[in-house]
Amino acid sequence: MSNKSEIIRKEKVVQSIVIADTFTDEFVPISDNIPHALLPILNKPLVDYTLEFLSLGGIEEVFLFCSVHSDEIKQHVDKCIKNGDGWTLTMKVNVTVSESCQSFGDCLRDLDARGLLRGEFVLLEPGVLSNVPLLSLLEKHSEIVKADKYAAMTLILQESGIGHRGRGLEDILLATDSLNRVLFYKNLGSRKTKKIEFPMDIFLENSSISILHNLKDSHISICSSSVLPLFSDNFDFQTKDDLIRGLLMNEEILEGTIYAHVLQGSLFGGAVSSWRMYQSLSQELMKKWIHPLTVTRNKNRVLKNNVVIGAGTTIPNSAKISRSILGASVSIGHNVTVEDSFIFSDTKIQDDVVITHSVIASNCTIKSDSKISLGSIIGTNTVLENGTVIENALVQSKQPDNGDEYVKLGNKAFELKVSSDDDGDSVLSTTSKKPYRLHITDIESDDEEDDDSDGFSDSEEELSYTQSPVPDDTKLFFSEVIDSLTRGFDDNLLCDNLILEINSSRYAYNVTVKEVNFNVVKAILSMSLREPIGVQYFSHLSRLLSYFSPVLKNYIRNEAAMLDCLQALEDVATSGESFKEKWVIAILQHMYNKDYLAEDIILEWYRNLDTDGKFVEHVKPFADWLQEAEEASSDDEDDDDSD
Amino acid sequence: MSFLQEFQVVVLAAGKGSRISEITTGKPKCLLPIGPKPLVWYPLYKLQKSGFTEVILVVLESQKAEIQSTLEKSDIDIKIDYFTIGDNSDLGTADSLRLVHDKLKSDVLVVSCDFISDVSLKGLLDIFRANNASFASLLVHPQNGENLIVPGPKSKHKPERDLIGIDEQTNRLVFLASASDFEEKFTLPLSLLNKHTKIKMHSNLIDSHVYVLKNWVIKYLKHEDSLTSLKGELLPHIVKKQLAKPPKTIDTNQSILTMKDPGDIFALAKEDALESTIRELSSFNDHTGDLKEAYHGDVVRCFAYVAPKGSFGVRVNTLQAYWSTNARIIDSWEKITYGKDLALKSSKATISSTQVDDKCIIWENAKLNEKTSFKNAIIGSNTEVKSFSRVFNSIVMNNVTIHEKVALENCIVCDGATVESGCKLKGCLIGSNHIIPEGSEHTNEVLIESDRLMEF
Repeated sequence: MSNKSEIIRKEKVVQSIVIADTFTDEFVPISDNIPHALLPILNKPLVDYTLEFLSLGGIEEVFLFCSVHSDEIKQHVDKCIKNGDGWTLTMKVNVTVSESCQSFGDCLRDLDARGLLRGEFVLLEPGVLSNVPLLSLLEKHSEIVKADKYAAMTLILQESGIGHRGRGLEDILLATDSLNRVLFYKNLGSRKTKKIEFPMDIFLENSSISILHNLKDSHISICSSSVLPLFSDNFDFQTKDDLIRGLLMNEEILEGTIYAHVLQGSLFGGAVSSWRMYQSLSQELMKKWIHPLTVTRNKNRVLKNNVVIGAGTTIPNSAKISRSILGASVSIGHNVTVEDSFIFSDTKIQDDVVITHSVIASNCTIKSDSKISLGSIIGTNTVLENGTVIENALVQSKQPDNGDEYVKLGNKAFELKVSSDDDGDSVLSTTSKKPYRLHITDIESDDEEDDDSDGFSDSEEELSYTQSPVPDDTKLFFSEVIDSLTRGFDDNLLCDNLILEINSSRYAYNVTVKEVNFNVVKAILSMSLREPIGVQYFSHLSRLLSYFSPVLKNYIRNEAAMLDCLQALEDVATSGESFKEKWVIAILQHMYNKDYLAEDIILEWYRNLDTDGKFVEHVKPFADWLQEAEEASSDDEDDDDSD
Repeated sequence: MSFLQEFQVVVLAAGKGSRISEITTGKPKCLLPIGPKPLVWYPLYKLQKSGFTEVILVVLESQKAEIQSTLEKSDIDIKIDYFTIGDNSDLGTADSLRLVHDKLKSDVLVVSCDFISDVSLKGLLDIFRANNASFASLLVHPQNGENLIVPGPKSKHKPERDLIGIDEQTNRLVFLASASDFEEKFTLPLSLLNKHTKIKMHSNLIDSHVYVLKNWVIKYLKHEDSLTSLKGELLPHIVKKQLAKPPKTIDTNQSILTMKDPGDIFALAKEDALESTIRELSSFNDHTGDLKEAYHGDVVRCFAYVAPKGSFGVRVNTLQAYWSTNARIIDSWEKITYGKDLALKSSKATISSTQVDDKCIIWENAKLNEKTSFKNAIIGSNTEVKSFSRVFNSIVMNNVTIHEKVALENCIVCDGATVESGCKLKGCLIGSNHIIPEGSEHTNEVLIESDRLMEF
């Protein structure tokens, strides 16, 4: 073949970049010994699936970018070529190494500097498993580019309902226009936000836009040649999310647009980005969702109860194993229970061990009577002594040398303590304690129920976008007071200043003293109802009340004011807002204890309450208690009244 | 005793037309001429054609006689039950409906008197029926090419825009608000996005003000007396209530008390035992993507029916809409009226002019004298145009007198106006009973008694 024709051929080569490292500590401690790309999925290294997918998808040249464990990956790729794996026939794989790279963005900057990519290419984040025909997607992207020359990237997404385990811990929300251009993108992650804020102009500039929350990222994206320079020009872009955010924010300056493509039918895409995704993708692979990628039969045996075992692994009759994947040459003792777990090769599980929802790396020894559960991850070569009980923990064989906190469980077992201070802002550290590392069905569904009731309590939404229709002065005054108090509470302002503010509003709206007392108490009480109802509700409540104690003290001065205050309580409680059962009593108790309300005033007010209403039911226990206390302390002169 | 009708129809015609006060002073808005018919004829005719036999027409006390006599002369056979409300009370659409509530025993179809469309009501009613909806709303696409030059001073036409969120899978109406309520930011609760994972947010659809309301909505409206308008307050309120959860009833004692609360939307909306049994036994689900029951178990559920693209649908509530609807009424006539003959020139009109093109519409008892010229003009009843005058591209309402040698182009002339001889008017709005003195020349002006305009 002449030199010239080779150059021509080269220009048409379909290229792909695969980033091999996650740059997160999600897979610690297992990732200390096994590179992410070689993590066994159904007893085959992850990267094998990725490469098979790329070659089936029509890719001819791959740049596999590594920064750590590069030798092992290189060796593995060489071995595959030697063995003549399927993909080696149609695809050239270049293992590119740069140990200085610290992030996804760094890798792309490095590749840009090397100038290896021509034209459009496929970009894979670490650990992609998919069956998507890439050539047609590339074609589609070229069409988009024809219509919009600034199109930089097409994100490949797959439908996945809320609560589907295949979503992992990622939670993406995007808004697209009728041409599938992404106008808004947010990765909610595991953070709990109650409200999503959209820029208004995207709604006004487009006649209709779709807000999509039913998607998961396949971590495959089709890129124009402008993507690598974009990373080079903006060295603060560390991840794909950074790029998307940056482009959406500074669209005009950066001249790049993002499009979304949602996979249809049996097309599947996903990436092992967390243990949860590891878990769900293993299951999906096993159940042939990613056909033609499936379980390799020559290395595995598929048993009943969704169990797959590697070569040389035997299971005694007394062991109970379900929904688990065991590597090669794993030895299982008697009466062992393994559920929803992953055990890598050459590990020894001794008698009477129970393993649920956990991952155990290769060459470990779990001695008798141990119990490992709730998303525990056990690193390579760990030895757990007899009767060790581990829940939701990371355990590795070596003593951590970087000053991290740890607990020594044995000579070859150290439990890592996940420092709690890094979970605040960095999205990357998903090792924070809250969600379990693996999807645990029973617990998860409970959690979701809780979420629901939190999210749907609508009192807050009501306040945010309905205004009462005819605001008269008193109402205006009331909303002013609420504003002042809310701001005061949020910004921790001095209560004296708040009193000044309220007094000046009082004159501005010309309301009577009675109305002032009534509305101030009402405002504070309404604020207390905005707190989400949960376990900690009452501690929030008492914090709120004690914070405003100077305000309350200032306004509830005499008996008339006390009655106003009680009236406000009644008003708020009967206004239809939902409140926790003991809320009324808690308020009364607090006000009584702090001497805002006198005993006889409460009782008098209670007697005058409408006995038919349900409100009186709430007050009754407290009134009874007061009465009892009174009867006990003083003479029984009140007997007539209470009857 | 008679069977309960499936739907009762309320046509709201008590609006004062405050957005087009230039042409509605001294004339009910619902009687503004659109082509050969008054405005309110169109919704009534549509209802009649859709098979309805009775409507409740809400009108202002003072306008009832005029409207009634106009309609009695027309070809509307549908039984009209007039319901009058006082002139002075500044009532919103929800207020009107609240006043009528005694008469409303079935589910209610609410139609505004200014809606002209060729969209069949069947789609809307079916979506309401199929989902046992709390309410369903008909949305239409904006009409294209509305860049005609409207009479009066040049003003930038800035349409009011609504943000309407519709679940793409189920047609649930999940969000409804006016775009002007928001500045730079727009927030949605995450719980909404979790429930409806694919929402299409429209900013250019037009709410036709055709709603089907479940009867309990009327009861709820009666209780919530602070709500004054349907579109602006009641409906957004109910849409929002879809997200709310019914108050949890903890002990049985309490639950009875909650049921008695007349204002509790969930108690009102509660489906009866048979309905819920059917729903529980049925394998039907309105959505896929999660494992929740049909409608997520909501009893309050709102739906939207978006008219097919290319259909005609306008609300004549701005000058722009009034003008452009008149301009295209002849073209759309057949579709709007389901093939009714279009009588352009009333047989009772006296037309002595030879220059009347076939885009002109002449109402009864109009008198077009000799040597006059008309192009693309609407001439109202009892209007006289004297010789040597020409009227191009204009709307001339009833009882107008146009004297000799007048040239009108792109004008709207309201009831009872007089244009003295020799006037040249271009792009003008002439208020009712206004007299244009002899020989006046005006371009793009509103000619109206100024104190009259102040009334509203």
